[in-house]
Amino acid sequence: MLAAASPAKTAQRVVSLNLCADQWLMLLAPEKIAALSPLARDPALSFYAREAQNYAQTRASAETVLAFRPDLVLGGVFGARTALSLLERSGIRVARLDQPGNFPAIRAGLRATAALLGVPDRAEAAIAAMDAALPPSGQPPRGPENVLVWQPRGWTSGPGAMMDAVVRRAGLINAGTGARVGLEALLRDPPSLLIVGENTAGDSLATNLLRHPAVRAIPTRTIPARLTICPGPWSAEAVGILTR
Amino acid sequence: MRNQERPACAARRLTMGLALGLVCAAAASMLVGDGFAGPANTLILTEIRLPRTLLALSIGGGLGLSGAVLQGALRNPLADAGLLGITPAAGLGAAIAFYWGLANGFPPALPLGGMLGAALGLVCLLGFGGRRLSGPALILTGVGLSALSGAAISLALTLAPNPFALAEIAFWLMGGLEDRALSHVAMALPPIGLGVLLLLRLGPGLDALTLGEDTAASLGQSPVRTLRLAAIGCALTAGASAAVAGGIGFVGLAVPHLLRPSIGQKPSALLLPSLLTGAIVLTLADILVRLTPLLLPVSAAPPLGVLTALVGAPFLVRIARRAAP
Repeated sequence: MLAAASPAKTAQRVVSLNLCADQWLMLLAPEKIAALSPLARDPALSFYAREAQNYAQTRASAETVLAFRPDLVLGGVFGARTALSLLERSGIRVARLDQPGNFPAIRAGLRATAALLGVPDRAEAAIAAMDAALPPSGQPPRGPENVLVWQPRGWTSGPGAMMDAVVRRAGLINAGTGARVGLEALLRDPPSLLIVGENTAGDSLATNLLRHPAVRAIPTRTIPARLTICPGPWSAEAVGILTR
Repeated sequence: MRNQERPACAARRLTMGLALGLVCAAAASMLVGDGFAGPANTLILTEIRLPRTLLALSIGGGLGLSGAVLQGALRNPLADAGLLGITPAAGLGAAIAFYWGLANGFPPALPLGGMLGAALGLVCLLGFGGRRLSGPALILTGVGLSALSGAAISLALTLAPNPFALAEIAFWLMGGLEDRALSHVAMALPPIGLGVLLLLRLGPGLDALTLGEDTAASLGQSPVRTLRLAAIGCALTAGASAAVAGGIGFVGLAVPHLLRPSIGQKPSALLLPSLLTGAIVLTLADILVRLTPLLLPVSAAPPLGVLTALVGAPFLVRIARRAAP
């Protein structure tokens, strides 16, 4: 029998162009990494920033990616669209990973991605580790406490966002709708708890808003962005910070 | 001698009227929320609306006054801190101090960066052209400096080590008073106040300049000294303003032209009314900015400078048409 190269052959050299795909790739199949996106090394944004130092990095341009001779390229649903479609047209397999918006979707996504990478067993280990870190589900909200996830420029996390699932899994009520909440609107109807990201990038108007003196009156909990920017098993740690 | 009593009385009445208008504008600014008009708690009043109102009043006043002084000192009806590139240069200095973390450890670095940028802009402007620069050449030099500073702001924010910097170019080019705190007032008010006091004292020097440089010198009003003090005053006001509110344009250009029909051409008579009118105009513009989400189906308020440009730019065209032969 001829061992013909079929398109379904398991990927061996994988390039990721997306921060979230970077982390899933490092979690599931580190030995297959050809290159990661530059953001993978940013300790503020990436859960595996230290591990990412060991791999090559690439910009999201088709030419640069081709130089790595990948047989699979991972991207997100948004971003690097031109590069991804160019790579597809030059015959390279491209997978666009969805952003899960809740814990069941993370489990399903881990299984699908592990199968794509040819390592289906590793998904179960990752899922088991995540579930062990999560508090038991199905508990009623712990009381009338309503929280608002307040992001740079005042954007909130609403239904469908992973942070909404994190807040609810922590037994809290998420008051956010996904719309922008300005400083005055926030103080007119203040939540009992404000959740903000940890600012490590220095001054900007977008993040200085979250540190406005008028906000100091509202109890605030800080969660590092590397736990919230991408959904993944580490989302269980974000829940842990809220239940602590 | 002409009878001086009647114009003096009219001027006093105008000043009183403007002062009353200023109080009304300030009160309205305290009552209007961000995309919301209604009652507010003490925290919102003191920590959000008060700094916003104080900044609109002082920055608008400084811009109006510096416009009147620049138009007198350079004897050019188009002179304005924004059009001459002083405000963009100030924004560049402040933006560098802000995004490169200088202002993080040492907050006064923000207004100092703005004033340094404004001073460098003025040195370039007056150094290239000199004070004898004629009307169109001066304005063209300013337009060049303005374009250069605007490009440098975009470059600086593109290279800034902050993922949000790129999206905030609009603030540094068009300005805004959103989400300012009392700390911004504490930073900006002293230099603006100092600049305003300095500029208000330039009346006699500017009046003498209208008679020509030689006559001014013979009257004991050194043209060089007047121009130098005007430059220092503008660097203080424009620099500190751009540091906390970005590049708000056209207030300094339009305000003196609004007042000349009722006050006349005498530069000294324009100074105090320009200060008051600038403060009123910018406060009203900022109220309108806050009301846009209520008046139009938009989710975010436009930058303040968009509004002043929409009103001010037609002024520029009108003045240019009148100046054309």
